[in-house]
Amino acid sequence: MTNPFSRRDFIRASALTAAGGTLLAGCTTSSSGSGAGSKGGLGGTLTMSQPADATTMDPQLQGDVADMNILINMFDCLTTRDSQNRLVPQLATSWKAINPTTWRFTLRKGVKFHNGEPFNAAAMKFSIERLLDPKTGSPIVEFADAGVTGVNVIDEYTADIVSKTPAPIIPEQCALFDGVMVPPSYITEKGAAYFAKNPVGTGPFKFVSWQPGAQVTMEANSSYWGGAPSLSQLIIKPVPDSATALASLQSGELDMVTGLVGSDVQPVAGASGIKIVSVPGIRCYFVNLDTEAAGPLSDVRVRQALNYAVDVEELIKVVLAGYGQQIATMFPSSAFGYSSSVKPYPYDPQKAKQLLAAAGYPNGFSTKMSANATNSLLLQAVAGQLSKVGVQVSQKTYAVQTFTELDYVNHGNALGPTYVVNNSGWSMDAYSYLQSYIRPVSRSSRWNNAQATQLVNTEQTSVDPTARQSAFAQLQNLMIEQAPFIFLYVSDVVLPMSTQVNFKPNGLGMQAMTSASIG
Amino acid sequence: MARFVLMRVGHALLVLVCVATLVFFLDRVTGNPVQVLLPPDATVADAQQLSQSLGLNKPLIVQYLNYMGGLAHLDLGQSLYYRSDVVTLIAQRFPATAELAAGALVFALILAVPAGLVAAVKRGSLADTALMSLVLLGQCTPAFYIGIILIWVFSILVPVLPSSGIGGFNHLILPAVTLGSYSLAVIARMLRTQLIEVFGEDYIRTARAKGLSGIRVIVGHALRNASLPVVTVVGLEIGSLLGGAILTETVFAWPGLGQLTVQAIDNRDFPLVQGIVMLFVTTFLVVNLLVDLFYGVIDPRVRLS
Repeated sequence: MTNPFSRRDFIRASALTAAGGTLLAGCTTSSSGSGAGSKGGLGGTLTMSQPADATTMDPQLQGDVADMNILINMFDCLTTRDSQNRLVPQLATSWKAINPTTWRFTLRKGVKFHNGEPFNAAAMKFSIERLLDPKTGSPIVEFADAGVTGVNVIDEYTADIVSKTPAPIIPEQCALFDGVMVPPSYITEKGAAYFAKNPVGTGPFKFVSWQPGAQVTMEANSSYWGGAPSLSQLIIKPVPDSATALASLQSGELDMVTGLVGSDVQPVAGASGIKIVSVPGIRCYFVNLDTEAAGPLSDVRVRQALNYAVDVEELIKVVLAGYGQQIATMFPSSAFGYSSSVKPYPYDPQKAKQLLAAAGYPNGFSTKMSANATNSLLLQAVAGQLSKVGVQVSQKTYAVQTFTELDYVNHGNALGPTYVVNNSGWSMDAYSYLQSYIRPVSRSSRWNNAQATQLVNTEQTSVDPTARQSAFAQLQNLMIEQAPFIFLYVSDVVLPMSTQVNFKPNGLGMQAMTSASIG
Repeated sequence: MARFVLMRVGHALLVLVCVATLVFFLDRVTGNPVQVLLPPDATVADAQQLSQSLGLNKPLIVQYLNYMGGLAHLDLGQSLYYRSDVVTLIAQRFPATAELAAGALVFALILAVPAGLVAAVKRGSLADTALMSLVLLGQCTPAFYIGIILIWVFSILVPVLPSSGIGGFNHLILPAVTLGSYSLAVIARMLRTQLIEVFGEDYIRTARAKGLSGIRVIVGHALRNASLPVVTVVGLEIGSLLGGAILTETVFAWPGLGQLTVQAIDNRDFPLVQGIVMLFVTTFLVVNLLVDLFYGVIDPRVRLS
């Protein structure tokens, strides 16, 4: 016996359930605003959902948002992001590059893990070297890829992260789970398998229980170094169906729903007792063009024309229900390296037609464009807009995993001359957005430009922020001029929640609930 | 009887070996799980290293023999995604799936038996048409649609039942009704057809001629004789309820095997997919064997032959 329905059926089914959700909200006249939080004690309980269940409670063995959403509340990293997405101290109080291959971190004093074990430079060394150890089998690879070799302890609260090659964004990567701190004695004594089911961190919440598929329960860490959180209890439930999650929010069983995009939350927009909080996110969308193959896309005028032909504001309205922002190139304004002097292409179909005519395509041309199933609406919308200037696009949609694999090999050429793709720069440094798509050595690069390659090399090997910013600024100008991509937008992190909840998310999409309160 | 059981068990084992082989190789056609586990920007070296630590770099035939060897010892291996024992993962989820399947079956039987009876006895009447149309509607409507409508009515419009998750009996009601509505239709329609056929038999006429009451004829004679194919259908339904709850579990965020299956397939978690499929197949085989044995209890003619 095999799975009785295909992945395509499942996606179709999900789409239909979402439609059911629209119907559902349309018929709702009242909803409970009391929230699940009212059942808690002092400080209250906040119950939130996410689309998938956790896979492990070991922060160094996971690689997806569902796990990070939970673990970010029990573990701290060396650095973190505030609600304006700025890099700020967490377990490290300060850091500086003492040479291009050494970053020195000064650590917070008086911090203890939930089991009472002290946090210090030895714990930092243990944590990072455990991550790098191939025996750990961690899917978190940014440090290994940056050439990090280990940690040198300088004194009890000072340690150096050392790399083979210059590694300019170590502090930014430390705000991700590369920089997560785990308890050395606890893991050594109890073993990794036990730790993966009974996590101990330094974070604002302590682990209580994990019922697989049902919920993870955490309680406030009253002796948290940053002050005890307002909530006394935090519950995270996996609810895979967005319509069900929104219904549970309306019925008061959930206080907050995570993991949705703008168009998902339309059913509850305006429902009483519910508010929708959004912040600019880090997921950026663009169309990767094959500039190297012979044909219209090798002509810069054609590529510029495609950028003029796309009405990005309209795409944001249609695809994201307005929850997004146009970006000039491939990264948002919150990323390091962003240059405010670079302006996005305006929507100008006349100019697009003129450029196409000048390039020898007065009647446009035909091409192919692919996308993964979650971007199929965007694909349709872009194709529709391009057809207005005479560019006929035949569309192809792939299952998410298949698409990703084709994108990884042979510069994504199996996906055809153009494809819609999204990319999240977790480090919030422009480097993360560009590394896979620019420079011929990158896995998905289809633009061979000597100047661009040299600028990427500069920003990747320098630890001087001024030099890096300058390289990024020049690169953005070059990207606008050469148009090797169709630049689109960054989507917002959108959180529907009970009006009883006070919470301001950051753009990373991981919900650290330290500052949240309810009631 | 013992020979019959032995032959059936032997047959079942052969089916299991074939299914295990098929699933093992079909799984691997879908692609490489390492790509799913690693972040988008991982390098080729990262992929090779993870492949090695998961044992996916070994020749396919070696992986196959290891897997079959483990299977012989009831060792289903380690999940690639959860980094945990497959048997443990399945054992964590199976009770929820069994609870949902049992709830759905009880719901289906409680309504299907009277509905089938009334429809057969009042064949051609308005009651027959109304009942059969209603159950047909249950059979035709997909689980995710019934589920969403039920949530809307009973969790939001008249908030008396929880919309999702597992908990007390009240959490079971909506998913059980959603999942059971298909089986309800199958069983009720089968029972009606069988009863109508049996009503035309000589022994029913004889029973009536003897002056037995209508109820005794229906329950004592007709129902018992009509139940053999119905028991077969119920057996098949148990198999599909245990394996087919994926949509219902997704809609109601029910923490059973259905959801685990979807995640395992999405993540190309080969050992987990294999383990779940083996469990479904085994359940199906066992239930069918039990149904075959149960025939003899209901109908002595089967025992004699």
